[in-house]
Amino acid sequence: MKEKKFEPVIVGFFCNWCTSAAADLAGTSRLHYPPNIRPIRVMCSSTVDPVYMIRALQEGADATILGGCHPGDCHYITGNYKARRRIAIVKTVLKSLEFDDDRVLLEWISGSEGPKFARVMNEYTEYIRNKGPSDFKYLDSLGGEEVE
Amino acid sequence: MLKKLMVDAFEKGLIEAVMAPAATKDSYTYALITKKEDVDKLTPIAPVMQWNGADMLRRITRLKKSERKLLAILRPCEARTYKELVKFNQVNPENIIVLSYDCPGTIHARTYKYQPTGIDELIAEIKKGGKSNKIREACKVCEYPTPIPNVGDIGLGLVNTDSPVFFALSDKGKEFLKAMGIEEGSRNADEWIAMHRKIREEWYEKERIRGGRKGLEEFLSSCLNCHNCKNMCPICFCKECFFEDRTVFDYESTKFFNWADDKDGIRLPTDKALFHIGRLIHMGTSCIGCGLCQQACPMDIPLYRLFGIVGNELQKVFDYKPGVDDAIPPVMDFREDELHEFEGLLGGEE
Repeated sequence: MKEKKFEPVIVGFFCNWCTSAAADLAGTSRLHYPPNIRPIRVMCSSTVDPVYMIRALQEGADATILGGCHPGDCHYITGNYKARRRIAIVKTVLKSLEFDDDRVLLEWISGSEGPKFARVMNEYTEYIRNKGPSDFKYLDSLGGEEVE
Repeated sequence: MLKKLMVDAFEKGLIEAVMAPAATKDSYTYALITKKEDVDKLTPIAPVMQWNGADMLRRITRLKKSERKLLAILRPCEARTYKELVKFNQVNPENIIVLSYDCPGTIHARTYKYQPTGIDELIAEIKKGGKSNKIREACKVCEYPTPIPNVGDIGLGLVNTDSPVFFALSDKGKEFLKAMGIEEGSRNADEWIAMHRKIREEWYEKERIRGGRKGLEEFLSSCLNCHNCKNMCPICFCKECFFEDRTVFDYESTKFFNWADDKDGIRLPTDKALFHIGRLIHMGTSCIGCGLCQQACPMDIPLYRLFGIVGNELQKVFDYKPGVDDAIPPVMDFREDELHEFEGLLGGEE
């Protein structure tokens, strides 16, 4: 496993109305974005309980992205403001327990921002690739570096 | 003294029911009485907090407002819980008068069962402006040990005074005391509160769970995943809990084997640490610090260090003091222009 170059697994929760549309646009515009992203379409960024993001991290993802509409553009008027509060909570919890809070990312990408979507995904994948595998996935396991 | 107040209030028709602790063989439970003859069965200030009184009020008013005028004797932490639960629409405050007092702290329920300590001993300590060293950790580091204005209705001062004093915390309490013909008094508790705060600040630094994954794993290593901490938590009032839904964590066996391959072996059950992190995310912003999670833990994990300290960090982000502020809890509210440091990779929108 050591010889192979580390390829991160990134789980993306993308809102139906903006970021998922941007992902489609990036695809139809033939913009390249890395296959490391595993997109999950959700109806609104506020429907994602941060526990699901934490769970993805524990079950093997190296990072998670929550993509929503720009503030003020939410299809459900106020969903993304609530999502932002939830991300603030989960990032603070991770930071306070001295986990790496960069593994959770919140991005606002609107439906017309295909190029931004591709750029953010490329940049974030590169960032996580340089950071290396997440330690969080070893929570409640016998593996990981430091244990014995 | 509180009993006399209850009997007087019954006779004047100001109250029709009282909820206060009552002794059992090994502990204290909350009791609800509706007759003045039953007042003697109560112990208004108990040395043990087995349940959170605000949670009991939630049970009483969950379906409908209180039909009788109810006087509830609550500790300051319970009064704060009461206020927080009112904001969450879990308690209907109508017809309820809350009396709280300078809390001498409570003893761990299990310690009390085997080595009972009288409440008089605890009160004697606070009358001198100190506090007993037998009380629970959460009580030692209590942030608000005294009644706070606008939290509850009536306060009873015990610190630094030989004759207890009553004072009003709200308009409802003012009316009640006036109707009772009780003069409002005052006592100086600033120093006493400052002592608590100082201990709390030191505690934040000293007991913080550090070291990321390893630190948390070590901290929770003896956890039974019994969910007692969640059951006792007054803020965890959801009828259906994400972590109680067994189907959420049902997987085919191949999934477990694959995890064991990838992670060099896994510990079962797999949702142990996740449960605590998830609970922090769900209720951390409203943790009022009663410490019942720690008392309920059968393995004596000092859980309040997790919830109290991380909860404090969360509350700092939202500049919110649960049960003290009149503002809506952070999880129910939002601003249009806030928290930009949590957006994007490096913080701030492009």
